[in-house]
Amino acid sequence: MSSPPDPAILLTGTILMASCYGAGALTLVLARWSGRLAIAAGHVAALAGAVAGLGVSLGVLLGDQGRTLTLPLPVLFPFARLSLSMDGLSAYFLLVISLVAIAAALYGPAYLRAHSPDAGRARQAAQVLALNVFLGCMSFLCCAGDALTFLLCWEGMTLASYVLVVSDDRDGENARAGHLYMVMAHGGTALLFIAFFALTERAGAFDFAALRAAAGGLDATTRTALFFLALGGFATKAGVVPLHVWLPRAHPAAPSHVSALMSGVMLKVAIYGILRFAFDLLAPVTGPLPPSWGWTVLVLGTTSAVVGVLYALQQHDLKRLLAFHSVENVGIILIGVGLAMVLCRREAAGVALATLALTAALLHTLNHAAFKGLLFLGAGSVLCRTHVRNMEELGGLARRMPWTTGLFLLGAVAISALPPLNGFVSEWLTFQALLGGAGHFHGPAGLAIVLSAAMLALTGGLAAACFAKAFGVTFFGRPRTSHAEHATEAPASMIAGMVWLGALCVVLGVAPGYAVRLLDAPTAALLDGPGASAVVSIRGPLVLSAELALTGTGATAISMTVLTALLIALAALAWALRRGSSGVARREAPTWTCGMSPTERFDYTATAFAKPLRLVFAALYRPRREVTRETAGTPYVASRIHYYGEVVDVAETQVYHRVQRGITLLSRIIRLRSTGRIHGYIGFVLGALFVALLLFGVGR
Amino acid sequence: MRAHGAGAEDPVSTEMVHAIIDDIGALLLFTMILIVAAGQVYRAIYAVAAQSLLIAIAGGVLAAATGNIDLWVIAGITLVVKAIVLPSVLHWVVRRMNVRREVEPVIPIAATLALAVVIVVMSFHLSASLGTVRQAITGNALPVGIALTLTGVLVMATRMTALTQMVGLFASENGIFFTAMAVTQGMPLIIEIGVILDVILAALVMTIMVLRVRSTVDADIADLDRLRG
Repeated sequence: MSSPPDPAILLTGTILMASCYGAGALTLVLARWSGRLAIAAGHVAALAGAVAGLGVSLGVLLGDQGRTLTLPLPVLFPFARLSLSMDGLSAYFLLVISLVAIAAALYGPAYLRAHSPDAGRARQAAQVLALNVFLGCMSFLCCAGDALTFLLCWEGMTLASYVLVVSDDRDGENARAGHLYMVMAHGGTALLFIAFFALTERAGAFDFAALRAAAGGLDATTRTALFFLALGGFATKAGVVPLHVWLPRAHPAAPSHVSALMSGVMLKVAIYGILRFAFDLLAPVTGPLPPSWGWTVLVLGTTSAVVGVLYALQQHDLKRLLAFHSVENVGIILIGVGLAMVLCRREAAGVALATLALTAALLHTLNHAAFKGLLFLGAGSVLCRTHVRNMEELGGLARRMPWTTGLFLLGAVAISALPPLNGFVSEWLTFQALLGGAGHFHGPAGLAIVLSAAMLALTGGLAAACFAKAFGVTFFGRPRTSHAEHATEAPASMIAGMVWLGALCVVLGVAPGYAVRLLDAPTAALLDGPGASAVVSIRGPLVLSAELALTGTGATAISMTVLTALLIALAALAWALRRGSSGVARREAPTWTCGMSPTERFDYTATAFAKPLRLVFAALYRPRREVTRETAGTPYVASRIHYYGEVVDVAETQVYHRVQRGITLLSRIIRLRSTGRIHGYIGFVLGALFVALLLFGVGR
Repeated sequence: MRAHGAGAEDPVSTEMVHAIIDDIGALLLFTMILIVAAGQVYRAIYAVAAQSLLIAIAGGVLAAATGNIDLWVIAGITLVVKAIVLPSVLHWVVRRMNVRREVEPVIPIAATLALAVVIVVMSFHLSASLGTVRQAITGNALPVGIALTLTGVLVMATRMTALTQMVGLFASENGIFFTAMAVTQGMPLIIEIGVILDVILAALVMTIMVLRVRSTVDADIADLDRLRG
């Protein structure tokens, strides 16, 4: 390893990152003269900020282990001192943010120009401002050294992303999505405020060191209550089932590169919060974490993974489908996090397993950011060339948009956890951790972990099915509408953004051992154990192994590099064999269609593809369909058949609609009771004051 | 600058101040009963003017007793603003509107009086349990202040027209003022002035509202309840 970089350089880098994002936000004034100029300058600034962030995070991760970089901020409030503090965990999440931000900054300008060429200058200024504020707040949230900075950045992130969600199109759906997002996000933020302020009140200060010290003196019940408050707040942001309802509406509504950031990165910031609270701020001084924490997270993660992918299967809106997959992937990450929480701070074998689980979770965080970013950018390319999100109206794009098709396929393979790409690596590690954990615990706990592993396997299979559908229906076959027929390839700068993330997917998949080295600092700091490489890549960076030192369990290992080489060799062999055996003359002929001329209506549709699973999981989906026939005079000749199908989100109908009905009923009752007479209200206040005085005033 | 207790050099003795404040408190309660029982708007206005005058006198007495210059200033402002200017404004508004000179109670005046009695009794009962708040010079100012405040709100709650509600607001304001003055022996001048400015502003806004609503739609504020959604 090279010599660790000087802290002064890293601090300068951090300041540089801040000033780039700040300058990017200020380029909105350029929109007075030219919206195009403002957008270009704003994205260049965001790119510079992201590169600076990348440098700083790599510097911290590869530098001295266990060193924390701190930077006091100028005093803004008389009651609190703001500061930044960057340890391994912060730097790792900053890395994730910066990597996707680079792609988004490359992709953004051309997308905004192509998608909404007639956008007003005010809208362009708002988008430039919000994008830079969004990126800056996310970056500094991960580096926050005190509760106030954390909450300010959290709020800034929410507000900026809200602006981006409602800025894309001026239709009612965006506004409704933004509204729902705002309500849910602030509900979650309220829980976070309670959790943080309960700690700061005890500590008498805002910085994390003081909070840690104050949390040391908490009793078990308070500690657990605070953890669940924080978990509720973060889970809302992360889109954990059943708090996910805002996610599939808000994420697709934003411009596509912002969708990539929201899905790929913003959810991860919530994961960062969970890790920070569970392992650092609220963790007991000695002994394992309370078992209820880890098991809750594990159950939530498993549920989210399965439910997320099941709903994704039934979506025909490309971006919404991807948003539901984010719910699924957050679930997979939380499975690893939960397992690490259950296992950590036990004996050596347990700590090794916990390290494995946390490595899997953190690696999946990075991997998901890469491939989900790539997929959203791919969907954005399709959207800006066709202006259609419903995949039933697409089709046949493979010949028209070859680059986009190839890159989307890459992302689809990665998210389906197929080797040799990166999704496979982290899911494989999660499996190893789950199977090891099942061997570690005996009895019901082990069984539960095995069940979780089975659910993860189901999730992987369903995700592959879902992307077979999404990719096949969107890119193969014949174009179903003229929108799809007249599509052309996306501009080069958009392709560049996608290539960056695609390359990341390939590198992380083929040589994951090098990424594991980045995880040494965060895992060692959070778990007080050996770093990630000591557990996962003990046989060198090219081989992943799970050396668990468990009785009766041999170590399993896999080399992604060799696997890739084998796959390439096999493909080359198959190609060579096919070339060699083509002595017979090949004949090309149209597909036989029973004598009819083939039309695009013959293609397999997304609805039809998902039908078997809709029937299998009918209890969850509650599918509804209506078929109406219009006949021409005689019932035997149908002139037209309308089909309408819908699946419902159980959480939405069973929980949220009931809450909504309750609130509506309550407000209707209040409205009936309110007379509008001033003296009535004054009398009510007087009476209340009177009763309160009698109850609480006397006898003190 | 602040109160330094009843020293030997004070021109008025503590017991005497005590007695005077108690007497003024009794008179304040009496004016309050007049306001509640007033059948005509004029009478209520005169009663509230008298009440403000009593408050100003109480301020003067306290100022003499404690030697606090601020209290003299406050007493002077109270005399000018609350005892002279605001009642004149109310009087002018009543003349301007020229109709409905009688108070329109929501519940009968006798019932309002009974409620006022309940409030006064409860105020004394409450402040008996708040023993530590009392200071040597205060006498029975605290229960009287609470009673004035709550009864003022009661007047606001039981009158239909905006004008009488304004009278209630001023009475309630007087109660707060009296409590603050007697219990703390003079709040900082800036706060007292702020409170008085508040009252002036409220009077201004309500006057404009009443006159405008009257002149444009020929209705009283009380009729605005028809606007509810």
